[in-house]
Amino acid sequence: MRPGPPKFAETAVGFLIPPACREEVLGDLHERYTGLGQYIVDAMRSVPLVILSRIRRTTDAQVFLLEALVLYLSFLSAAWYFNFKFLADQWGLLRLAIPAAVALVAVMLADAYTHPSTRSPLKAIRGATLAIGVACLSQAVLPVGNPDWAVPRSTMLGGCYTGLLLILSVRMLFSPPAHRPQSANGLGFGQKQDGKAVNIWSRTVAVILCAAMLVLIPAFGIEPGFIAFTLLGVYQLGKRF
Amino acid sequence: MAKPDSLGQFEQLVLTAILTLREDAYGVTIHAKVAELANPKPISLGAIYVTLDRLEDKGLVSSWLSEPTSERGGRAKRCYRLEAVGERALEESAVTAKRIWDGIVEVWGKEWAKQWGKRWGKELG
Repeated sequence: MRPGPPKFAETAVGFLIPPACREEVLGDLHERYTGLGQYIVDAMRSVPLVILSRIRRTTDAQVFLLEALVLYLSFLSAAWYFNFKFLADQWGLLRLAIPAAVALVAVMLADAYTHPSTRSPLKAIRGATLAIGVACLSQAVLPVGNPDWAVPRSTMLGGCYTGLLLILSVRMLFSPPAHRPQSANGLGFGQKQDGKAVNIWSRTVAVILCAAMLVLIPAFGIEPGFIAFTLLGVYQLGKRF
Repeated sequence: MAKPDSLGQFEQLVLTAILTLREDAYGVTIHAKVAELANPKPISLGAIYVTLDRLEDKGLVSSWLSEPTSERGGRAKRCYRLEAVGERALEESAVTAKRIWDGIVEVWGKEWAKQWGKRWGKELG
């Protein structure tokens, strides 16, 4: 029997590869295996390109720009409404771009790492909650390192709510390429994946639960860390359905 | 039939590899074949995946997952085959390459072409 890579190395590499191409890439790396060093070098040279290729396939440039605009405008309008003086600060407009950029990267990676076989109406909600959750997490962590770059809490909260609603609307109107049904002469990629049956009842309960959790957030606190925790919890819950 | 896009050099190499490998065209074998065709230029496996994805999006190749095999740790291969549009695009590229060759031979002479022929013969054994 041919020697294969150690389990831990395969698990670590498999974790980094988007699920849509995990099977074949891990198989190819396994087949080329001659030693642990070679396996790691091979993985380090292949996996970043695989991720970039997957991002290219799952990101629609126009929708991406629209999402960027919507996110930035959400935080800008929140700052305008709650902390107008903040906008006049040096680097104020740039600081607002930090949570927006973090959310944008999160939503892009969420699309790239979505398994094409899971057909769920919660996909749009999951991506949006993950994006805003990670943006909140970045703002909860940022004051520890450099408080000068953090956005005021009220601006963050207002921006998160507006951003969540708007990004959700954008993603429902223009679903990411990986979530769209493919035409007969189109890419045909989504059609090749094995689809699982959609359980409408469990999904409906999940949607109601997610919505209830989002509405209840302000009742329990407005700490960015708490919001991040809640939104990431919603994301994990959404993955189960 | 839709007019195929013009191909880049690396895309031509990948399509040629898929054409020559026939039923056995998947990541590892395509990479080995492209490395052989592009010799002495080093080729990374990641570049092959990126190009295969792009060619599939353009509709030049199609892919499917084979049965899992033990030498791959129980994992399936993603096999590729040329679509009609891909074959046409490769054909056009080959015709263009032939025209380039003829143009060069016309200027640099048949002696130069013979020397290249001998070098290729030696390389191919």
